[in-house]
Amino acid sequence: MGIEHTSVPRWPAEPPTFDGRARSVTLLGLDADAQPVIAKWQAQAHAAGVPSSSLVIDDVNAAVQHLEREMASAVVGWRLLVAGPEAGVLTVSAAARSLGAVGGEVLAHVTGVPLRRLHCVHCDAVTPTDVAIGGTVACVGCGRSLHLYHHLSRRLGAYLGYMVDAEEHEPGPVLTDA
Amino acid sequence: MTTTPLVPPADELARSDPSPTVTVQAAGRLHLRVVGTSVAAPGVRNLVLARADGARLPAYPPGSHLVLHCGQRRNAYSLTGCGTRPGTYTVSVLLLADGQGGSRWVHGLQVGDELVADRPRSAFAPVSTATHHLLVAGGIGITPVLSHARSAVRWGRSFDLLYGYRPGAAAHLAELRALCGAYLHELPVMANFLAAVEAALIGSRIGTHLYACGPAPMLDAVVGRAGELGWPEERVHTERFSAEALDPGEPFEAVLTRSARRVPVPSGTSLLDALDGAGVTVPSMCRQGVCGECRVAVLDGEPLHRDLFLSEQERAAGDSVMCCVSRSRNPYLELDL
Repeated sequence: MGIEHTSVPRWPAEPPTFDGRARSVTLLGLDADAQPVIAKWQAQAHAAGVPSSSLVIDDVNAAVQHLEREMASAVVGWRLLVAGPEAGVLTVSAAARSLGAVGGEVLAHVTGVPLRRLHCVHCDAVTPTDVAIGGTVACVGCGRSLHLYHHLSRRLGAYLGYMVDAEEHEPGPVLTDA
Repeated sequence: MTTTPLVPPADELARSDPSPTVTVQAAGRLHLRVVGTSVAAPGVRNLVLARADGARLPAYPPGSHLVLHCGQRRNAYSLTGCGTRPGTYTVSVLLLADGQGGSRWVHGLQVGDELVADRPRSAFAPVSTATHHLLVAGGIGITPVLSHARSAVRWGRSFDLLYGYRPGAAAHLAELRALCGAYLHELPVMANFLAAVEAALIGSRIGTHLYACGPAPMLDAVVGRAGELGWPEERVHTERFSAEALDPGEPFEAVLTRSARRVPVPSGTSLLDALDGAGVTVPSMCRQGVCGECRVAVLDGEPLHRDLFLSEQERAAGDSVMCCVSRSRNPYLELDL
């Protein structure tokens, strides 16, 4: 399984076009660079006669709370259009998915990748990092040195990280049935 | 993308060792005995089948079908049980006077008769991440939907069942009433059925998945309306039990790369039959573009897709073709055979 088969997304430079095949949309922008993208999508929704609500906010947690409120009353036919830095877009998309959205209901545009979210398979903590794929990162949860592997979990909205130097450490305690 | 394993070219088939595909299929066959029959509705015969040797039957996901070997033909019928630890398999078969003989054969079976079936196949399973299941059945299309409803009740899944039928001709109505209670919506008047489907398509909360089975015009209407109302394809699941007649199509030539042969496909002859006539046997089952059995890899040329099996993405990729119904847009279609 090489890098050519990776789950790492290749984000297009240009934002995707909203085709208007929906009955309502929630627009979420997660940084200033997302503002023009949101404006463009809003115009496309308006042209298609699709009602939309939009919010541009750089606080991802607040964005997720807004999404939860929107989805609480959403019916099938609803779409999420989200733009911003990758970590935020992945967090919001993962939240939408956990609330019942499917891939075809989320249209995303990434404005940049300043930070990646790295999920530690040993302690479950997520470490934000500016290290590139293939690099090594100290886990904020357990301190282990994690390899930033070229696999992205859409469900978690995070890259897979595993201990890179396990062979150089003493084995941990062995759990027994006693 | 996966491709159905192909039977090797004819010269390889002549060798004595059987191909792994054939062995697996033979081993997967079930020898069944009819242990009960009843009338589920006028013209609809309910068969209860157990394993002839008394052994356990394989479990199956809801919405699966069972392929019965009906004499020379193999016919697929929906299993109506929930699929968990099945002691018996049950199928309900509508007698089709102008059918190809499968339903007549099934209607002739009596308790004690033995028959052969393949293991159940799943092509209409519930989606585990759905928050609500909207089940829509028209007429005898109730059979896989009954399986869904049983499973939903058993495992406590949220569902609604819209059942459109002609008065007096509804199969399984009594057991559906007992099973589903208020979640069964009986719609014997066509206009009311369509209105109920419309209302459900408009007002289903996000996370709902739609499962529909019934006559082709009903399914086309439901799927078309769902698309107009913004339902993404991933949420819309259909089980088709009949395909409409297709036009005979333009003649073309199949170029078989591995066996270095060319097989002409005249108008009115399917690619599958033309290949078979040339000694190249492709595994097939429904012969109406539904089951996915006869998928063949395309190396060059542009397939004219007429099946109901491939997704839009798979169609656009153009690298495989269901050779029972689909043809070629060009004079030549190059196949990995």
